[in-house]
Amino acid sequence: MTDLAALHDVTKAYAGVPALRGARLTIAPGEVHALVGENGAGKSTLIKILAGVTPPDAASIAIDGRSVSIDTPHAAADLGLRFIHQELDVVPALSVAENIFLGRRYPMRPAGFIDWRTLGQAATEAMGRLGITDIDPRRKMARLGLGDQMLVRLSAAFLDRGTAPARLYVMDEPTASLNGEETERLFRVLREIRDTGRSVLYVTHRLDEVMRLCDRVTVMRGGETISTAATSDTSEAAIIRDMIGRPVDEAYPRRATPVSDETVLDVDDLAGAGIGPVRLAVKAGEIVGLAGLSGAGQSEVLRLLMAADRRTGRVRVAAKPQQAAQPPQAWRSGLAYVPRERRSEGLMLTRSIAANVTLPHLRLFARGGFLNRGSEREAVSAAGDEVRLVARGPDQHCYKLSGGNQQKVLFARALLERPRILLLDEPTRGVDVGAKFDIYTLIREVSSRGTAILIASSDFPELLGMCDRIIVMRDGRIGGVLPAADLSEEDLLTHCYGHAAAAPATAAASGA
Amino acid sequence: MIGVLRRYGTIVGFVGIVLFFWISLPETFMTGRNWLNISQQVSMLTVTAAAMTIVMVMGDFDLSVGTMASLAGVVAAVLFKLGFGVPLAVSAALATGLVGGALNGILVSYIGILPFIATLATLTVFSGFAFLISDGRTIFGRDIPEAFSGFARSGVPLGDLVSIPALTIAALAFVLIVWIVLEQTVFGRRLYAIGGNSRAALLAGVYVRRLRLAAFVLTGVGAAIAGLLYASRVASANPTQGDGLMLDAIAAVFLGMTMSEEWEPRVHATLIGVFILGVLDNGLTQMSVDSYIRDILVGAIILAAVASSSLWRRDTG
Amino acid sequence: MKFSMLRGIAGRALLSMAVLGAAAGIAQAESRVAVVTPYLAQPGTQFYVEGFEAAAAENGWDVNVIDTKGDVGAVISRIEDMVTQNVDAIVINVDPQQITAGLQAAADAGIPVFGMDSGSDPLLVTNVTSNGYAMAAETAVYVANRIGGTGNVVMFVFDAFPPVQVRGHIADAVFGNFPDVDVLDRVTPDVTDGGIADSRAKMEAILAANPEPGSIAAVWAAWDQPALGALQAIEAAGREGEGIVITGIDANPQAREAIAAGGNFEASIAQDFQGIGRTTADAVSRVLAGEEIKQGVMYVPTKLITSANASD
Repeated sequence: MTDLAALHDVTKAYAGVPALRGARLTIAPGEVHALVGENGAGKSTLIKILAGVTPPDAASIAIDGRSVSIDTPHAAADLGLRFIHQELDVVPALSVAENIFLGRRYPMRPAGFIDWRTLGQAATEAMGRLGITDIDPRRKMARLGLGDQMLVRLSAAFLDRGTAPARLYVMDEPTASLNGEETERLFRVLREIRDTGRSVLYVTHRLDEVMRLCDRVTVMRGGETISTAATSDTSEAAIIRDMIGRPVDEAYPRRATPVSDETVLDVDDLAGAGIGPVRLAVKAGEIVGLAGLSGAGQSEVLRLLMAADRRTGRVRVAAKPQQAAQPPQAWRSGLAYVPRERRSEGLMLTRSIAANVTLPHLRLFARGGFLNRGSEREAVSAAGDEVRLVARGPDQHCYKLSGGNQQKVLFARALLERPRILLLDEPTRGVDVGAKFDIYTLIREVSSRGTAILIASSDFPELLGMCDRIIVMRDGRIGGVLPAADLSEEDLLTHCYGHAAAAPATAAASGA
Repeated sequence: MIGVLRRYGTIVGFVGIVLFFWISLPETFMTGRNWLNISQQVSMLTVTAAAMTIVMVMGDFDLSVGTMASLAGVVAAVLFKLGFGVPLAVSAALATGLVGGALNGILVSYIGILPFIATLATLTVFSGFAFLISDGRTIFGRDIPEAFSGFARSGVPLGDLVSIPALTIAALAFVLIVWIVLEQTVFGRRLYAIGGNSRAALLAGVYVRRLRLAAFVLTGVGAAIAGLLYASRVASANPTQGDGLMLDAIAAVFLGMTMSEEWEPRVHATLIGVFILGVLDNGLTQMSVDSYIRDILVGAIILAAVASSSLWRRDTG
Repeated sequence: MKFSMLRGIAGRALLSMAVLGAAAGIAQAESRVAVVTPYLAQPGTQFYVEGFEAAAAENGWDVNVIDTKGDVGAVISRIEDMVTQNVDAIVINVDPQQITAGLQAAADAGIPVFGMDSGSDPLLVTNVTSNGYAMAAETAVYVANRIGGTGNVVMFVFDAFPPVQVRGHIADAVFGNFPDVDVLDRVTPDVTDGGIADSRAKMEAILAANPEPGSIAAVWAAWDQPALGALQAIEAAGREGEGIVITGIDANPQAREAIAAGGNFEASIAQDFQGIGRTTADAVSRVLAGEEIKQGVMYVPTKLITSANASD
């Protein structure tokens, strides 16, 4: 049987960094096909190419065996491809029906007026496909719950009016904001689609959904396609192996000094919106990782420790209670923080390196409120050298630096006052290989000085290579604490998915 | 070459305006006396614009500076009328600026209303108070003590004939203070950090709300000072006399911002913006150009400055 | 690079010169006179300025009218600029006490400054205006004569505003000189809403207190609004037939209309705004010719408006 869609030798690089290296993907008619892989494996890029949003550097794409080129989203729509993106792109001020018709031609009356009646009927029909009968198409989108909003956007993909009939639905983590019942509704519709000979490409992190819903699964890693198999012939474990694949990099510098016995960070009952209660402790010189699926609460724990979000619970730094209602107080208590979003939460891009580095430490360079620029520049130069920052000087503006050097500016800021505790959120995201190694080396150096370090990261090899223990977060709570030494990526991912081998986890937790 | 013109377009434009008037008014424009006049004429605007710069550094606005200036003048004048002395009346006017600025600051940073909306509302409130306490009338004549109105007419003698007007000195002193606060202190550095990225500033240990409040207070006090200078210059106070300062102050800060690569408000650049406006007023009046043409030119110059600097940013950014 | 930068500046300068040259019409030969006012948008001021400009055109002066759009502080700045330009004379239409700094600058430079209905000030050569004393006397006498020198008169006054206080004081003197004219009430209306409504209310109360026909012979108002209010009260009470005589001052359009209608509102006084402008120009030309003007105030005749000429 001819494949419904076949992509071969798809290559794409962003600014010289390869995202796809000869990836391939074939989808048969009448199947639900899962596409899985770690962050950065190339799934999104592949889908964007199929959607005509991103032009590939090279690719051969065939639909129904006929070679095609998909240059625009309209071309993709004309080929019968429908896309439902992960981001909930709704217009809250418009009605449900209008949201369903977003980006399409509204049905018109002759004089150029919108045919609201037909619009509403078509919207009702599209939602009916999902079994949604309880949402009035005239209601404002803003009045719906998040799950309902997602369902409305999903139903837009089932609208066939005015375009070529749908052949293939591509869904990027559609169940992320759906509850169990809503997910079931969706699955029912997807199976129905399959039974009528159309297909679904289903991108997800949830392997249980893959096994339950999908007919075949393709695994991607590092821009390449690793395997395609029928779900009946594979297992979650095998899929995870394919996702991780390579051996743990030798790129992680080894621990050179022992962990001290002194507990520097002692956290009890820490809780915030949807997070906790969390109990954890980190010793001087220890590196502890926070792992979990995206949104499991790793970043939020760090933010709570910084008092960046409203919190309850007890935090003790070097045996002293941390009385922090705002981040400035957290810095003063001996914490330092490298936030997750470098550009939006970390840097003042239009300011100089010096201004960015010294911001939490300005009192060190002030007498009577006046800045001493000389001593500030000296300190910034020294801090820049320590983190191996490559820049023209302390006055250079941050937006002119590479991602790696921008990250080093944030490290220079965090380390300038020799913090007792260093909190790192995705410390190497969007950083090139060379800078990554610099950062790992730096983390080891800081740790060997007796600083306690907490790292939240979605990069599992990084956690396994750097950490002494790894705390696994699930749904805002601690799902287990694992010693990193004997842990494999497969074990860690399994823990994150919640299929934990219970015994070692509890043992490690009591050790902390 | 093009890059230079874009980068320094506003400065080049300013020099061009000065040269133009110099050529057109060879005898009267480029004289020390005329420049002292200009400096005195723009003194109220200088103070207002410098005060406005403080909040614009954080990326905020204060639309209420003009009516605050009116209110402060009226407060002082009403107290004069009731027989109070200069120190008390001036202190009360400054306190009015402080309270009004604090109100703006609380609305913006603690309650979280957009500065544009919050200060648009307080603009009206301050104006209402000014009308209320003055009964809508101009307070002038014997009610205003000589010690107060005399300030604006006094100066520091410079040689036999010329003297530096007190208003000029007051305005430059205010600019100097703002410059020191913004450029030389920890406080100023933090304000610029908030303007650069307020979320990042908070996460990097800046008390964002507290500082925003403080900045609005300073701007309010600055506006009150401008109002007092105005009242002293006209030896009277009416409830609308400072209102026009606000738009010119924003224009001056914008003109100054076009001189910075990152569109940062800098108070010394604001001063150049103020002088662009002041020189235009002075020169065009001397050339007998219709005052309405001046408005058109000012608008065109702001657009030209902003456009050239935007083009330059697009090319480099 | 430097050369082309200069060329850019020269280009800008030429361009602006073309724009400004067209707008300005620079002339140096004849006498230059500047008129500086914050109130050009107000009708009265426009009449003064029109009258002044017409007379100035006959004299061949170069007149520069500068409107600071309500900004009194800017009036000082613009006077300073005119002093810098060394104009031959400056005319102002704003309270001189608010612009002492500018007047002083002109005085120091020996440039004469004239007030056009501005109020008097030692730093002004003269102030040209209408005679408030005469206006009040003329209407008060009109009232006294119309009622035959006998009867009760209601006065509407406003002593808090100096120019109007003068009018009331003069009317007091006139009525005091007629032994059989009694001032029944001396009312100060609330003027926050313009004065008509509260004057009407006050007049209604007085009418109610004096129900006898003939118990009120006349209403003298220091300006038009109370006169209009009193008229409304009398008509509403159905007492327009009693021959109560009403007069106002200023002859605003609404008052002229009422007077033309031939009812109780019989007279008001019109100021000659254009004449004030012409007389100011005359004063300027006399000073430019070397004459010294001794009067600190110059009065321009006013005109009594009655039903005979109200529609002119």
